[in-house]
Amino acid sequence: MVNDPITNKLEEAPSERVYKKPSKLAFLNSKKVAPYVFISPFILSFLILTLYPTIQAFIMSFQRVLPGNVEFIGLSNYERIFNPTFFLALKNTTLYVIFTVVILVVIPILLAVFLDSKLVRFKTIFRASLFIPSLTSIIVAGTIFRMMFGESDTAVANQVVTFFGLEAIDWRYNSWSAMFLMVTLASWRWMGVNVLYFLAALQSVPKELYESADIDGANVFKKFRYVTLPFLKPITIFVVTISIINGFRMFEESFVFWETSSPGNIGLSVIGYIYQEGIQQNDMGFGAAIGIVLMLIIFAVSFIQLILTGAFKRSDE
Amino acid sequence: MKKLTGFMLLIFVLILAACGGGGDSSSDAGEADAAISVGDDIEGATELSFWTFNELHMDLFEDSATQWNEENPDKPIKLNAQTYPFDQMHNNLSLALQSGTGAPDLADIEIRQFSNFLKGDVQLEPLNEYVEPELKNNVEERFNLYEKDGNYYGIDYHVGATVMYYNQEIMDEAGVDIDSIVTWDDYVEAGKQVTEKTGKSMTTVETTEQFSLFPLISQRGSNYFDENGEVIMDNDVNVETLQFLQDMIHKDEIAVAAPGGFHHSEEYYGFMNDGGAASLMMPIWYMGRFIDYMPDLEGKMQIRPLPVWEEGGNRTAGIGGTATVVTNQSESADLAKEFLAYTKLTEEANVKLWTVLGFDPPRFDVWDNEEMKADNKYYDYFHTGIFDMLSEIREEIAPIYYTPEYSSAQQEVESTVLYNVLVEQKQTPQEALTAAAEAVKSRQSD
Amino acid sequence: MKKKKNKALKWIVNLSFVFISFIALFPVFGLIVSSFRPSSDLMRSGMSLTFDLGDLSLSNYIFIFSQADSYWQWYANSLIVSSLVIFLSLFFSSMVGYALAMYDFKGKNFIFTLVLFIIMVPFEILMLPLYKLMITLQLIDTYFAVMLPLIVAPIAVFFFRQYALGLPKELMDAARMDGTTEYGIFFKIMMPLMLPSFAAMAILQGLNSWNNFLWPLLVLRSDSMFTLPVGLATLLTPYGNNYDVLIAGSVMTILPIVVLFIYFQRFFISGLAVGGVKG
Repeated sequence: MVNDPITNKLEEAPSERVYKKPSKLAFLNSKKVAPYVFISPFILSFLILTLYPTIQAFIMSFQRVLPGNVEFIGLSNYERIFNPTFFLALKNTTLYVIFTVVILVVIPILLAVFLDSKLVRFKTIFRASLFIPSLTSIIVAGTIFRMMFGESDTAVANQVVTFFGLEAIDWRYNSWSAMFLMVTLASWRWMGVNVLYFLAALQSVPKELYESADIDGANVFKKFRYVTLPFLKPITIFVVTISIINGFRMFEESFVFWETSSPGNIGLSVIGYIYQEGIQQNDMGFGAAIGIVLMLIIFAVSFIQLILTGAFKRSDE
Repeated sequence: MKKLTGFMLLIFVLILAACGGGGDSSSDAGEADAAISVGDDIEGATELSFWTFNELHMDLFEDSATQWNEENPDKPIKLNAQTYPFDQMHNNLSLALQSGTGAPDLADIEIRQFSNFLKGDVQLEPLNEYVEPELKNNVEERFNLYEKDGNYYGIDYHVGATVMYYNQEIMDEAGVDIDSIVTWDDYVEAGKQVTEKTGKSMTTVETTEQFSLFPLISQRGSNYFDENGEVIMDNDVNVETLQFLQDMIHKDEIAVAAPGGFHHSEEYYGFMNDGGAASLMMPIWYMGRFIDYMPDLEGKMQIRPLPVWEEGGNRTAGIGGTATVVTNQSESADLAKEFLAYTKLTEEANVKLWTVLGFDPPRFDVWDNEEMKADNKYYDYFHTGIFDMLSEIREEIAPIYYTPEYSSAQQEVESTVLYNVLVEQKQTPQEALTAAAEAVKSRQSD
Repeated sequence: MKKKKNKALKWIVNLSFVFISFIALFPVFGLIVSSFRPSSDLMRSGMSLTFDLGDLSLSNYIFIFSQADSYWQWYANSLIVSSLVIFLSLFFSSMVGYALAMYDFKGKNFIFTLVLFIIMVPFEILMLPLYKLMITLQLIDTYFAVMLPLIVAPIAVFFFRQYALGLPKELMDAARMDGTTEYGIFFKIMMPLMLPSFAAMAILQGLNSWNNFLWPLLVLRSDSMFTLPVGLATLLTPYGNNYDVLIAGSVMTILPIVVLFIYFQRFFISGLAVGGVKG
C-alpha cells in the first residue's frame, strides 16, 4: 500500500480504540481511516495527472517555451489567441458540438423507447448491431469512412448520390461536407452507446405508471411526454454533458480525414489548433494558452447547461 | 447468434486455410519494413539511431552502414533506423529536443519543418568541418537552407530542381510539340489546344500543399520572405502568380485541382495513371512516385525544364528537401557526423543518391560521372539525358530565404490561401495573401 | 381495427429497425468484403458497391499472416495494455466509487466534486505538461506511460459510486459485527455484489484503451511498442505502401471485440441498467 504509516498514525484519533488489535496496522481498519485508504489512488492520480499538469499548463501559457530558453512574456499568448484561425476552429467545434448533441440525444431516445416497447422483435440483435460501430477504433472507422466517401464516382457515397441523379461530391473538400463527415462519423460510432444508456434508464420506469396512464386514457404521445421523459431526465443530463465535453475535445474525427491540416481549415477543431500550434509549430506556450481558454469555455457551457436543465435543483439524496 | 458465430468461424477457417497454402504467392515483395538494423552481430559496434519519415531513405543508410563496417573495421557501427509517419516523426523529434532526452543520433527533417528546429538554442550539431570543404562542388543553395549564424546543420538528399513532366501520348493526340513550349504563355495556349482536342486537362494544381505555387514564385525570384526576413507574401509577383493559377483553373479551364488535394495522394496517383492530365510540374525526385504508383505511364513521360516567365528567365526552381541532422543528444556525435558525411557528402555517396533513390544529387561534379549514365529504372521509365538538362539549368535555381516563421507562412498558404482562392474562390489572391501575411507578421512580432 | 393498425405499425417499426441496423453495420461489412480486394485500388477509388468478383482474393490476409510481424507485435501490445488497464482501473476506480458511496468522511463532497471536475477537463489540454512529466520520469516508450492516464478513470469512479449507492449498508454493519475488516467487507462482500457494474465498466474501459490514440501516439516511440491504433495510423502515410496491412489489419482489430461483445452483452446491459440511472 502506498500509505505512509507515520502520517496515518498522527491522524488516528485517540478515541478510536474499539477496533484495537495487536497489529501495528490496526488503525488502518478504522471506519474513519478506511475511506481515505480507498480513495488514496484517486487523490494521487488527481495530484499527478490533473492538478500538476493544470498548473503547469497555466504557467506555460504565460511563457515562450523554446529549447534552451524559457521566458515569461506576460499576456501576449492570450492576446494572440483571438485571430481568424482560432475563431474558425471555435466555429467548427461549436457547430460540431451542436450537431452531435442534438443527433446523439434525440435519436437514441427514440430508438431506445422503441427498443423497449413491445413493438420490436429481435431486440438483442438490433441492440447489438447498433452497438457494434462503437467497437471500432477511430482509426479503423476513419479508414472505412474515407473509403466510403472517396472522391471518385465509384465510392459508395457517390454511387448513391449519382443514383439520385446528383453530381458526385468531393466530400473532403467542401466545408459543409467536411462537417457532415465528422458529425456522421461521430454519430455512427456513438449512437449505440447512447441508446444503451437510455435503454438502461428505461428499465427504471415503473410499469404501473403506464398502466395508470392507460386507465386515464392517455395516448402514446402523452405517455411518452408525461411518463417516460421525466424518468429519462437524469440520464439525459448525463449524456448531454458527456456529449458536450466530448464534442469540444474533438480531434480524432478530423485527424482521420485530413491528419493535421485540412483544406481551408474546414476540419480544424480547437484541440486540432492546439496540436498545430503547440506541437507542430513548437509553440507550447501558445498551445497551453488556447487550452486554458478552451477549458474556460467548456466550464461555462457545461455550467449553463446544468443550470438550464435544472441539474442543480435536485437536492442530493 | 449461433449463426453469426458460425459465420465468424468460417472466416477464420478461410484465413487459416489461406495461410497454410500460400506462403509463396505473396505479391508484395517490395514491401519495406518500418525498422532496419545493421551491424547487430558486430561486437563493440557503436550504436547509432536514425529516424526518418520515408522508408526509401533507410535504404540509403542501410547500404552505407554495411559498406562503412567493411571499410572501417576499427570503428564499426550498429545502425538502428526507424520510419515514422511524417507528422509523428517531426513532432516526436521536436518534443524530444525540447525536453532534452529521447532524441536519436541522426534524423531526417523535412525542409518545411526545419525552421522550427532553428528556434531558440539550436539543439543540432553544426556540420561545418565536413560541409565547408565540399561547398564548391555542390549546389550551395541546398546547404544555405539549413544554415544559421554561419553554422550548417543539415545535409540534403537532392537539389529538388523543379521540372515539367509531359505525357507524350496526350500531347501527340492534341498535336502539340512539347519543345515548342518555351514561355508560360505558350504553355497556356498549348493547354487550350489539349483541352479542346482531347478533353483532358493540361495540368493539375495542388490545393492543400504548395508544390504548384511555391516553385512558380521562386522561379520568378520571389518568396514568402526577403533576405532581411521581412514578410513579402503579398507582393505583386506572388499575387500575380496565384492569379495565374486561378486563371488556369477557372478562366482558361486548362487545369483542375489535384484529386485528393495534392500530388502525393492515392487518388491523385490513380487519376494520373489513367492519363488524367497532360503534364505536371514537380521536382526531379517525383520520378520515384511515377515509377512506384503510375506504372501505366512507363515510357510515355518526357521531362523538360519549366516554361519561362520572360525571355532569359529561370527555367527551374528549388523546392522540397529533407536534411539529415545530428542531434546534440547523440553520445557519439563525432562518429555520427563522420558517418553522415560518408553517407551523403562524398562523390560515391552522391552517385548512390541517384542510383538508389533516383534523386538529383546536390554534388554537381558527379552529374557527368560514368556511373550516373548506367541504365536504371529511371532512365527506362523516362528518358536519358536528365543530367545534361540539369547541368544546363543548374545556375537558374533562385535562392530561398528561410526564417523561423517559414513553416507558419507555409501553413497559412496550404491551409487557407490556396483553398480560399483556388477552390472556393471566396477571396481574391490579393485578399488572401494579405491576410496570410498579416497572420505571419503577428507571430513575428512577439 | 385497432389490432390491424398495431400490426401495420409493428411492421413499419421493425422494418425501420432493419434499415437502421443495416446502416449501422454496413461500414463494417463493407470493410470485411473490401478486405478481399486489392488494397491500393481501395485507397484510390474508394469502397464500392459494385466490383469485379474476380478481384477478390486472400492476398491481404496472406500478407498479414505471413509477413507483417510488426502488426502482430502491435496486437500483442494492445492486448497487454488493455488487459492491464481493465484490471487496474476497475480495481482502483471501484474502490474510490465504493468509498464515496458507502462512507461518511470529511471532504467527501469535495472529492466527488473533483471527480466531476476531472470529467470536464479535456485530457488533451493537459497533454503537453503530462508529456514533459513522462520524460522527467523516464517513462517514454513504456506500457506504463500509456496506461497511466487511464488507471483511475473519473467516469468509472462516478459510475461505481452510482452503483454502490444502491447496495444495502446493513450488510456492512453485520459484517463488522462478525469482525470482518473494512477491506474484507469490500473485497469479500461488496465487490461480488457489484459484479454487473464491473462487466459494464470492463467493456467501456477496455474499449477506451483498445482504441486510445492520441496519447500513445505521443509517448510511444519504437515500432515494437506501438499499440494497434498507433501502428495502423503509421500505415496511412504516402511514403510507404502498406495498405494491405491497414485494411486486413483493421478487420482483425474489430473481429475479436465484436465476438467478445456478443457473448457478454447481457451482462453489459444489465450492468449499465442498474448503475447508469441515478444521475
